[in-house]
Amino acid sequence: MAISTEPTGAEPPAGGEPYPRPTASRPAGPKPTAMPAVPEPAQAQDWIVLSGVTKRFPNVGTPALDEVDLAIPRGSFFTVIGPSGAGKSTLLRVLAGLAKPDAGEVFIFGEPPAEASRRKHLGWVPQSPALLPWRSVLDNVRLPLQVNRRAPCQPRDPERILALLGLGETLDRLPAQLSGGMRQRVAIARAFAFAPAVLLMDEPFGALDEMTREHVAHLLLELWQAERPTVVFVTHSVGEAVVLSDQVSVMGKGKLSEPVDIALPRPRPEGIEDTEAFHGLQRELRARLREAFAAPGD
Amino acid sequence: MGCSVSCGHGYERPSLRRATDHLRLATWAPPLVAFGVVLLVWELLATHERFLLPTLGQVGADLTGHLGTLLAYGGATLAEALPGVAISYAVALLLAVGMDQSRLLTRAVLPLAVALNVSPLLAIAPTLTLFLGLGRAPKIVMTAIITFFPALINALAGLRSADPKALEVFQSLSASRWETLWRLQLPASLPYLFAAARVVVPLSVVGAAIAEMVAQGSSSGLGVFIEQQSADAQLGYAWAGIVTLAVFGLVLTALIVVVEDRVLRWRGFKQ
Ligand SMILES: Nc1ncnc2c1ncn2[C@@H]1O[C@H](COP(=O)(O)OP(=O)(O)O)[C@@H](O)[C@H]1O
Ligand SMILES: [Mg+2]
Repeated sequence: MAISTEPTGAEPPAGGEPYPRPTASRPAGPKPTAMPAVPEPAQAQDWIVLSGVTKRFPNVGTPALDEVDLAIPRGSFFTVIGPSGAGKSTLLRVLAGLAKPDAGEVFIFGEPPAEASRRKHLGWVPQSPALLPWRSVLDNVRLPLQVNRRAPCQPRDPERILALLGLGETLDRLPAQLSGGMRQRVAIARAFAFAPAVLLMDEPFGALDEMTREHVAHLLLELWQAERPTVVFVTHSVGEAVVLSDQVSVMGKGKLSEPVDIALPRPRPEGIEDTEAFHGLQRELRARLREAFAAPGD
Repeated sequence: MGCSVSCGHGYERPSLRRATDHLRLATWAPPLVAFGVVLLVWELLATHERFLLPTLGQVGADLTGHLGTLLAYGGATLAEALPGVAISYAVALLLAVGMDQSRLLTRAVLPLAVALNVSPLLAIAPTLTLFLGLGRAPKIVMTAIITFFPALINALAGLRSADPKALEVFQSLSASRWETLWRLQLPASLPYLFAAARVVVPLSVVGAAIAEMVAQGSSSGLGVFIEQQSADAQLGYAWAGIVTLAVFGLVLTALIVVVEDRVLRWRGFKQ
């Protein structure tokens, strides 16, 4: 078992190391835009790009995704908020290659999602932790290192990731012996453990109470700050979106709005929720959400 | 593995608490009362209808008087039942894995399994004895046939019981079918495999006894014993045989339940 912080012998895929630029307070490079001038092929390596992506389900009137255009630069934290049924999960599933769009194109750093998945570039964090109940915490986190072993990855030390998430004492416990918040943290550790270039997180804190939520969100933030994967995050919580993200887009009826920049400095300490800047951004997002709820055709 | 059961993850306390549960009156009283009522009705019937049922005293006397014979016959029946159920369980599990992977195989095999399940054993018995002779083989095969369907259905349900969200995690990693089967579906099916065993193992004892009754030329086993004693109107002996059969089934079920409880607790399926 090659579980170490050392890089494996295998070459990383074209496009370089998974996480370039651990720079100061903001990710370098261009910001995400909802309607990109499609990046030059030379830059495609550094963007997640959706263009004209449409997904319909049989017997459902409005499409779950309606000609979605989006470009997210490598290394940024991008959040989608919106009401239930807006198409947020479908968007993530399309990015993960778990669902095929009916029209449009998806590229993850120049690769189609299926290829990104084959190369283990995608970390998937579903709404429920989806841990294997018969595996200890540590063995759950090791799972991604044990499957699809032909894909080169540069695994992190699972024990270190767990320790960073405050789970250093629970390595040998079974999931049934953990609280909901701890289980969700294990799911996050599992996604970080194989250092994927992209993390796709679908309301990962949806089942947690408010206090636990904030705490786990800040732990995620610290881990992200250290590892700097590209994150596409879905949440119902406006506050969470503001705390975590570089940019937030509102989704309603399968359409994605122009993203809002979250110009809060990083790193963002616990307690940032009490600042005026935070409240201003929260108000702006709430206004956008109201527009999404009242979209034409409602 | 056996070690990890006992020196496992802090389960001592709950299992201790549960162990004391067994001593509580509330646990034991209801089944005891139910048994008592049945035996009482039995005794009333037996004293009024001497040719229908033997009295409990007579069954008891015949049981103790012929314990050696009954146990030997029971052993012979087990020697058909256990290989039969082992074969059917193993084949069912393998087939379920195949069917889980291939719709085509499911469509091909499932109707066949249903047909086998509904065909009367009495009709197959002569053919089987013709092919397999008068020894244990035809009874083992008949037991396997009787137990096959519930084993297959449970194994299939088990493989399909994996958490769909966990399945997504495997898919997102491009885990192979084999990896998904081995690391997710098979372990997830453990509770179903035990549930199947709980149904199928006692069924195999009854199945083997029935096989002995319907197959020609049987000379040992509880099925033969019960049939002969009934034919000779030795109702006490016949019922002593039936009781022995039931006790064998009960003991096997209890064994499975104990192992199941341990393993599911140890593997985190139960708290
Ligand atoms: N597997 C599916 N089959 C049919 N309809 C679906 C399926 N998945 C999602 N939908 C529909 O697509 C729309 C968007 O769903 P979803 O992406 O789950 O929304 P969200 O995650 O924003 O709540 C909803 O109207 C939902 O009913
Ligand atoms: Mg959703």
